[in-house]
Amino acid sequence: MAIVAQTSKLGTVGRPILAWIVALLFFFPIFWLIFTSFKTDADAVKPEFLFFFTPTLDNYLNMTENYDYWRFATNSVITSVLATAVALFVGIPAAYAMAFNPTRRTKDVLMWMLSTKMLPAAAVLYPMTFLAKGIGLFDTHFVIIIVLALINLPIVVWMLFTYFKEIPKDIIEAGQMDGVNTWGEIKEILIPLAWGGIASTALLCFIFCWNEAYWTVRLTTTDAATLSKLIEGNRAPEGLFFGRLSAVSAAAVGPIVVLGWFCQKQLVQGLTFGAVK
Amino acid sequence: MSSRTLPRLLQTPAVIMLLIWMLIPLGMTLYFSFIRYVLNSLRRPEWTTPSFTNWRGFGNYEFVMNSKDFLFAIQNSLFIVGSILFLTVILGVLIAVLINKAFPGQGLVRVMLISPFFIMPAVNAVLWINMILDPVLGLNGLAVEGINNIIASMHDAPLVGWFFSLWPKIDPISFRATQTSAYAVIIMVTWQWTPFAVLIFMTSLQSEDEQQKEAAILDGAGKWSQFRFLTLPHLGRPIAIVVMIQAIFHLSLYAEIEIVSRGNGNKNLPYLIGEFANNNIGAASATGIFAVILANIIAIFLLRMVGKTLME
Repeated sequence: MAIVAQTSKLGTVGRPILAWIVALLFFFPIFWLIFTSFKTDADAVKPEFLFFFTPTLDNYLNMTENYDYWRFATNSVITSVLATAVALFVGIPAAYAMAFNPTRRTKDVLMWMLSTKMLPAAAVLYPMTFLAKGIGLFDTHFVIIIVLALINLPIVVWMLFTYFKEIPKDIIEAGQMDGVNTWGEIKEILIPLAWGGIASTALLCFIFCWNEAYWTVRLTTTDAATLSKLIEGNRAPEGLFFGRLSAVSAAAVGPIVVLGWFCQKQLVQGLTFGAVK
Repeated sequence: MSSRTLPRLLQTPAVIMLLIWMLIPLGMTLYFSFIRYVLNSLRRPEWTTPSFTNWRGFGNYEFVMNSKDFLFAIQNSLFIVGSILFLTVILGVLIAVLINKAFPGQGLVRVMLISPFFIMPAVNAVLWINMILDPVLGLNGLAVEGINNIIASMHDAPLVGWFFSLWPKIDPISFRATQTSAYAVIIMVTWQWTPFAVLIFMTSLQSEDEQQKEAAILDGAGKWSQFRFLTLPHLGRPIAIVVMIQAIFHLSLYAEIEIVSRGNGNKNLPYLIGEFANNNIGAASATGIFAVILANIIAIFLLRMVGKTLME
């Protein structure tokens, strides 16, 4: 017996239209940022040029001159890439140990790792500044890399753990029979098998590092300052520089938004620790 | 010694690093919270170096609790987090149900909807408070001005002109006052995190039992009862997870508050800590300990609620 479709005519037409309206509303601020970035600073605040204006690329061409964009962008790339590498380097062996050689304490350790994420960063603001300055690491790439790696380590371990759990234990054990040692197991069996999972973990970790806005602002001044710091430092243009500020903001978020589109699925798995599939 | 010892030991670097990361700074915060410690003091230069001889006991805690901003900061933290959770969950469920069924352009709709989630907090705040919510130069101001102009131009219209001339001139809302800047923060964070809720609810909806639904339709269940008795219970776990993850992130909300309020009184605990840390490290540390306690109360509560489902 066929199920009679319940959807009314209004539903089949109205639902997509409503969905499109909602999506356009949510995308509008981003559109507006990009739109404004093609206006001159003078045009950007004039109501008569709200929708119709002569587009210009000057804001993008002058990004280096106005904001020294590439220096901050380079710092963002260096710190995010290396922090992701450190987090994976420490996280892969840990997740391997937990997924394939669990002990009675493994669950507690995982929960404890998650609980370190709940420690409010601001609570240790001054000690961190004090330590960083004390050992001469304030405003260096090194300290930002270590801090970014550590705050993302719990999520990295959790994500890798959920991916590794899906791999049949037999395959890893077969490797042991062949006399492969532990490093061989990780390098030759686990990493090739879990390549997709590791890649999406890395991608997500990279996005979080790029967008981090507490420690990157508080532990840097100039040398290691990232894009978060750049935007935060120019937060109050008082209407004078809407055009150029929009351009540099769009350039700061653009690469990450595009990367994000490619890892929507992994985002769900990663952020819910595999509990929603 | 079993052959599994080495593999088990592989988790120790991660554990030790996280332990150090937690214990050393937190230990220092705890220590500083019990001593008199300021960055600059002409009168009492001995207070500018941390030392046990400057022991103050619970004096810093008392000082913080008596400061006028403390209770307000806690209330404000909870108000902001609570409002964001409420709005993102409701909007998230509605939008997820709306776009769950296939329709033309579903892929593009998804891409547009998820985009706000990847915007860095600093850009999010700068964009909203300047280009959109600014009462003069932002779209908020321009829209209100436009409405005022339209009304003004109607004053001379025949027959209905007297009606429009009775209308007052509308003032745009300024989002830089204490209370309204909290609303601005709620708006921008809700905009950023609703996509996250949508994404998770949508993923979960795809695993909804279709046969159960068809059976319910055969039994004559209407749209509303399908939603109420099948979809909503199915979303219970994802909702709990969304609430937990967002609570973790939003309790330490900082960049948005800093950029939007610029010291106009809209504070949460992290912001208050930052303010104290400009000079009074003792008070900043005591506030930090309060923030940890608050986060722990909420964390224990939330982990009880969802911890088990995570581990199954």
